[in-house]
Amino acid sequence: MPENKIDLAADVATMSPTTNEIVTAAIAREIRDGDLAFVGVGTNGRAFTLAVGIPLTAVRLAQMLHAPSASVYWGNLLEPDLSSMPADLKQDSFTRWQAAACPSDTGVKCDMLARRAFDVCFDSAAQIDRFGNLNITAIGDYRNPKVRLVGCLAQPEHFAFVPRPIVVVDLDRRVFVEAVDFITSVGHLRGGRSREEAGLSSGGPQLVVTDKAIFDFEPGSRQMRLRSLHPGVTAEEVFDLMSFRPVLPEQLPATPLPSMQELDLIRRVIDPNRVLLRV
Amino acid sequence: MKEKLTTLEEALAPIASGSTLALGGSLLRRQPNAAIRSLIRRGVKDLTVQSWAATTATDMLAAAGAISRFEGIYTGMFSYGLAPNFRRGVEGGAIAVRDFSETAMVARFRAATQGLAFLPIKTLLGSDIARHNPEQIRPFSCPFTGEPLQAVAAAKADFTIIHGYVGDKYGNVQWPIVRDSDDIDQMIASAATRLIVTVEKIVPHEEIKRRPTLTYIPGNWVEAIVELPYGAHPAACDGHYDEDDAHLTGYLERSRTPEGAQTYLDEYARSVPDHDAYVAKVGGLAALEALDVPNREQTHA
Repeated sequence: MPENKIDLAADVATMSPTTNEIVTAAIAREIRDGDLAFVGVGTNGRAFTLAVGIPLTAVRLAQMLHAPSASVYWGNLLEPDLSSMPADLKQDSFTRWQAAACPSDTGVKCDMLARRAFDVCFDSAAQIDRFGNLNITAIGDYRNPKVRLVGCLAQPEHFAFVPRPIVVVDLDRRVFVEAVDFITSVGHLRGGRSREEAGLSSGGPQLVVTDKAIFDFEPGSRQMRLRSLHPGVTAEEVFDLMSFRPVLPEQLPATPLPSMQELDLIRRVIDPNRVLLRV
Repeated sequence: MKEKLTTLEEALAPIASGSTLALGGSLLRRQPNAAIRSLIRRGVKDLTVQSWAATTATDMLAAAGAISRFEGIYTGMFSYGLAPNFRRGVEGGAIAVRDFSETAMVARFRAATQGLAFLPIKTLLGSDIARHNPEQIRPFSCPFTGEPLQAVAAAKADFTIIHGYVGDKYGNVQWPIVRDSDDIDQMIASAATRLIVTVEKIVPHEEIKRRPTLTYIPGNWVEAIVELPYGAHPAACDGHYDEDDAHLTGYLERSRTPEGAQTYLDEYARSVPDHDAYVAKVGGLAALEALDVPNREQTHA
């Protein structure tokens, strides 16, 4: 299982890829030319890497390789300059990040979400279940919670209106649960056509990218399905880290490794100071 | 034009326990913290708080036991993690929460702005946010297409408090040219019944008049305006100063226990008579100026 530590002095060409790099390259291949992707503002540490670092690096990588007109809406910046990302997480670095547009308020972003102007979004969560429903609101009983989390932000909008949501989260039994305690974001709801029957447009989460494996959702049942295992990870190891059993495909490939070109761009051009993929 | 410049205590005097209060700011930007410390000092309680992405202001009110109900999109401490006092209040049953997603909260403030009882959304179909709040989120069918929609109730507050950048004595408040616009302060202001604004600096009306397109809160909407340099401290005011990492770290350290949070409030809110005394307490203007962003003086040029 590759780690995320990296020796910056080592020869880029000979150093094997980290898990973050494998995941980033895999997500980059999902980005199509012309896509508009929503990336949240994140928090810190590992949560920042999952919600912000990996998505921004992946979209930038896609821009440089096969999707030159892909773009990002980050915070309230539309098309921020991904060739020059903030060097730290202080307010003034965000304020001065250059972008094509900084609309007068976030209501503009909300309106764009509701009219389905986005193609892709990135979400992370405290809980995700078999049908890809997310919880970032409360653990336990909503009215008498064991843990009160942050609320909902625009994560309900992402799943309601964005055609290709990508969930980025570490594999963990407490996170991958049979049913979330609170449905903040409606994924495939109870499976089958229950999402559409609730009045939502078709779509819902498309991929769940973790540090051990990548999942998609089985057409028809809409249950989470194992799509690929990262190099060195076994299916048993994955099952041990989940509270439910995902659907198994007929063929279970390894997650493709980043190419030399992808690794070189991530390490030397996009994130040379290891700010985005630090942990 | 009517002069609306006053003191913080005068401006906040009408806010009584039991009020519904809408707060501006988003994440660690422009939280109306000085105003909140004044309310805590006065012992105002039983508030319903409406907010966008809430951090320090809401968490301090929660520490003071002043919130009975919260309606908003987020409460946390941004890069510092969960909001400890708010979390304790909710988990202990003292604070009732009504969660709203971003489009839902935008619709609620826009409805209040337009004098409507509700606006429609279709974001929360199937979600537990709607299921747990039939009082404020109700299903109905589109009268044109028949598609399922949800009516979200207008966010009507008794009082609204916003911390802005600069303004004049008439209450006109202006944006800098480069700012972090990831908030809905203008929308919250436009929805207000009684709007109290605190600003970093009062500038001459002549400066405001030269660039009226930058006025995001017209004095016409404002009941009172107060000059409070570093009024968002320990949060940031984009274009003016950054968040105070050391102070926030200390706040969170103390907030690990309810007793620790009380010692914080005693020291920084209850024992200081006013904002000037707070500034002196945190090291004086010289200490706060260390948080200033480079070229702050050109922010509004």
